[in-house]
Amino acid sequence: MASRKSDLLKYYRKMLELRAVDNRLVPLKLKDLVMDGFHPYVGEEAVAVGVCSALRPEDYVISTHRPQGHALAKGASMRAIFSEMLGRVGGPSRGLGGPMQWVDADHRFFCGSIVGSGVSYATGFALSVQREGKGAIVVCFFGDGASNTGSFHEGMNLAAIWRLPVLYVCENNQYGEAMPVQEFVSAPKIAARGASYGIKGRTVDGMDVTKVAAAVAEAVPWLRRGNGPAFIETVTYRYRGHYLGDPENYRTKAEIEKWRKKDPIDRLRRQLVRTWNVSEQSLKTMEAEVEAEADQAQQASLGERKATLDEAVRNVLVPVAGREA
Amino acid sequence: MAERTLTYAEAIQEALDQEMARDPAVCVMGEDIGVWGNLFGCTKGLLEKYGKGRVRDTPISEAALMGCGVGSAAAGMRPVVEIMYIDFISIAMDQIVNHAARWHQLSGGKVKVPLVVRTQGGVGFRNSSQHSQSLENWFVNVPGLVVVMPSTPYDVKGLLKAAIRDDNPVIFIEHKAVYRNKGPVPSEDYVIPLGVAEVKRKGTDLTIVANSWMVLHALAAAEELSREGISCEVVDPRTLYPLDEAVIAESVRKSGRCLVVNEAPAAGGWSGEVAAVVMERAFDKLKAPVRRLCGRRTGVPYDKDLERAVVPGVADVVREARALAGR
Repeated sequence: MASRKSDLLKYYRKMLELRAVDNRLVPLKLKDLVMDGFHPYVGEEAVAVGVCSALRPEDYVISTHRPQGHALAKGASMRAIFSEMLGRVGGPSRGLGGPMQWVDADHRFFCGSIVGSGVSYATGFALSVQREGKGAIVVCFFGDGASNTGSFHEGMNLAAIWRLPVLYVCENNQYGEAMPVQEFVSAPKIAARGASYGIKGRTVDGMDVTKVAAAVAEAVPWLRRGNGPAFIETVTYRYRGHYLGDPENYRTKAEIEKWRKKDPIDRLRRQLVRTWNVSEQSLKTMEAEVEAEADQAQQASLGERKATLDEAVRNVLVPVAGREA
Repeated sequence: MAERTLTYAEAIQEALDQEMARDPAVCVMGEDIGVWGNLFGCTKGLLEKYGKGRVRDTPISEAALMGCGVGSAAAGMRPVVEIMYIDFISIAMDQIVNHAARWHQLSGGKVKVPLVVRTQGGVGFRNSSQHSQSLENWFVNVPGLVVVMPSTPYDVKGLLKAAIRDDNPVIFIEHKAVYRNKGPVPSEDYVIPLGVAEVKRKGTDLTIVANSWMVLHALAAAEELSREGISCEVVDPRTLYPLDEAVIAESVRKSGRCLVVNEAPAAGGWSGEVAAVVMERAFDKLKAPVRRLCGRRTGVPYDKDLERAVVPGVADVVREARALAGR
């Protein structure tokens, strides 16, 4: 059980990192150093951290327009995230991608701001790792809104008929931008959409990292053995608006408060103290360390330069037949 | 020894076969490319030879099919994805434009997307307005894509092999009216570099720049005009982007006259791009304004005669070239 406790402490630290980064991005946005395309992840940390807890470096992660939590959980540094968000050269896309689209080749991480597209291109990564036959998998994150797109349905069907190793993770955060999920998704549970393609799926509490991690720990070995795709719908909530500056006229403060009471970080903290006898002091030390690391990462990124115009227009094409590209 | 001839479709099949034999990362995916071997036989025999793992019949599901191509290319495979008719590519545009074309740059040059999208466009089979369009212009304007349109069996083999070996997403557009055309195609391995034009016919009075099926019209027109004493040079850029501007400019600087022939509608298109290149690089040598002969801005009609009438034919090229030559 010692390893269980150390896992929980790792999850706790990682969730703190995610939140520390998001909490710093808000003032950076207000100073106009980060643009509107920054989509806060606060509240959903248990999903990214729980899901990525079962991953290996050779696994691919396909993310969304709200990618920072997934990226950190897959192994990107806080510095890399700050740099990309700030448009600095230390970002995975050298600051050319910004808050909602970048490619981090070293961490096998792809994300983008076209809702639903990833479900289709995840099949390609999955085909490639299936062919390699080493048990690597692809995790494809998407939101509730993506489940209405053509790409979503086409991609799931292809993955199902070819038994591709894709773990679909729906982050059902209750809203597609400003529209409540029950108004735009015809299925009572989004996981049912996976089931309609014969994809094994379940719905879990996305505010509890241990529940997410347990579901993933069950699904991932099954995927690695070549059984085909699986689907996990995580029920979660974003505390902040769809983007910063969202008028949020579609929900009440009481609703937000209700969800904040289920906060995944507070919840795990209580568990660590009560069930695992972790001392208040050691948690406070960890919290202070993460805050300090986040400050340091932010400062380091702010000190980086932006790409030059020359750098910004490079690598559009691989040089073609010796021509200028 | 007599020169070996193949049809355009057979040349495609041979290119795919040779590349699949050469490199195990090459695979083909598409609607009915396996058991059927493609509508025109372009992938015939590949399933039997290379198996279901590398020759994948897919559902009628262009977004997923293209997504699978894009993702697998980024992850190290060299997929040749077939879109049966270019008109269907509209369903797959997001995967090409927003993802395949972006990842090399967004990864700081680390990720390559060696994807080939084989498709076919144009009139010729009375397929009407959702199976006969010339949509190459859409792709020419997207940063991060290479666009190839071969006109002959010899070229299609060498260019397809080059496209498969190229590390960029390549939109490889064939023409349905030329699949059965025969021409000399050596059996050996040869590659025609992308981005390199060819002068298909030498001439002195005017330059015709044409692509795909229109190259054949231009050559037929040039032959006819030669009997009237008008000498046409025919330039086939073969790759629409990146465009071999130097060969076009050199030809027009010599002839002083330029006619651009393209099956797609003129406005906002590649034909205008070629005209602009001529203005930029050969203006001082022009004896007459550049002319364009393009497809009509209309849906392609069903009727056999009407579908031919809305795109340039040999007689149209002859008429335009004659007028340009001042005869």
